[in-house]
Amino acid sequence: MHEVANTPRGQGVLACIQCGRCTSSCPVARVVNEHNPRKLMEMIILGLRSEVLGGQLPWYCLSCFTCLDRCPQGGDVGEAMFAIRNLTVKKGNIPEGIRTQARSLFETGRVVNASKMALIQREKYGLGKEPVVNIEDVQRILRKTSFDKLITKGL
Amino acid sequence: MKYAFFLGCLIPAREPNYENSIRKIAPKLDIELIEMKGANCCAPFSIQSVDHMSWLALAARNLCMAEQMGLDILTLCNDCYESLLMTNTILKEDKEKLDKVNKILADVGLEFKGKTNVKIFSDALYEDVGLEKVRKTIKNPFNELRVAVQPGCHLAKPKRIHFRQRMGPTSLDELVEATGAKSILYERKEACCGGPLRGVNDEVALHVAKQKLDSIKAAGVDCIVTVCPFCFIELDMGQLEIKRHFGEEYNLPVVSFAELLRMAMGMKLEDWEIKTHRIPITKILDMVEAK
Repeated sequence: MHEVANTPRGQGVLACIQCGRCTSSCPVARVVNEHNPRKLMEMIILGLRSEVLGGQLPWYCLSCFTCLDRCPQGGDVGEAMFAIRNLTVKKGNIPEGIRTQARSLFETGRVVNASKMALIQREKYGLGKEPVVNIEDVQRILRKTSFDKLITKGL
Repeated sequence: MKYAFFLGCLIPAREPNYENSIRKIAPKLDIELIEMKGANCCAPFSIQSVDHMSWLALAARNLCMAEQMGLDILTLCNDCYESLLMTNTILKEDKEKLDKVNKILADVGLEFKGKTNVKIFSDALYEDVGLEKVRKTIKNPFNELRVAVQPGCHLAKPKRIHFRQRMGPTSLDELVEATGAKSILYERKEACCGGPLRGVNDEVALHVAKQKLDSIKAAGVDCIVTVCPFCFIELDMGQLEIKRHFGEEYNLPVVSFAELLRMAMGMKLEDWEIKTHRIPITKILDMVEAK
């Protein structure tokens, strides 16, 4: 539990009283039985480290922040999900879709890039070229935070 | 009114219709959009999930650029809004994180000073331009149009950083009603569209979108209006996927608020913009034609 609590955005787990309001307000919990934010908090409180960090559950969260507004403890479950995901990434557990976006960010400075067709169309519609990113500065920042290493193999 | 214009990644790449409408309506509202040359991705939830400091530093780089321009930053996308607003709030409150971020930013010759504010387009209209002025630009009011407003998660959540927004009618409802349309309350209005799970778990994303579309359909509306480009894709293109996947058909046109306002101002959408919508928006266009 303290590993999550000591990770940025993770302090919320300390406030959890297992009331389940997060789960009852979660749009994903309505359609996916395995996803249960209350239960994930319970697993963290119980110290089930490998089950939490090795699994896919934290990646079901939409970060819609409904639970943040509903938690009677101000417990920030949705915020804690970021801390948990940061910890799973360090273990090398990162969904391919997220890795693709992260690689794109490192290589181009954007998580989504326009297709060749879209670029031609932009010019045709009078919107001009796609905005230019200062990629040298972006990469300098991301190297400093070891982002490039993190997304290749974890830390 | 001048803003540092933060376009983000998704809109220039996938929704040129949204960008075009913003550029067309801004001058009518005396808004000047100053391009942010060299700005990077806002670092949305996917990047925040990977690493905390990388997120803060990248978002802060954009904020520093706006500071150097001496302007508030204007975003069009709910995800950019969340990332930039949250970072701005954290760095203004947390000295320890501020020092860490500034140490990283020093390498690229920047320093976060906390001198800019982050506004999403609809809030800029609501707070800076004002409803009265927006109403004065309306030439073709949508008097018969019943609208399901999709605020999108990060327009109003979490409350901690959105002091003015509460559950129930938001600034976006009032803006939509300024065009003459009627915002219809529906169940699960505050719920997510499912978009953030794209690329992680497409099927769950679709289930979440379906819940939302079911309740919108039950409310009996003519169209969905949103400011968020992710909600736009998920609810528009998502309807085609839901039809393939579940056999359910909604035929609910989705338009961005910028497009709605532009049509209400008496400007026509170009053919290519109309074609960007996967669910035909004929019903709305007919209302414009009839005027």
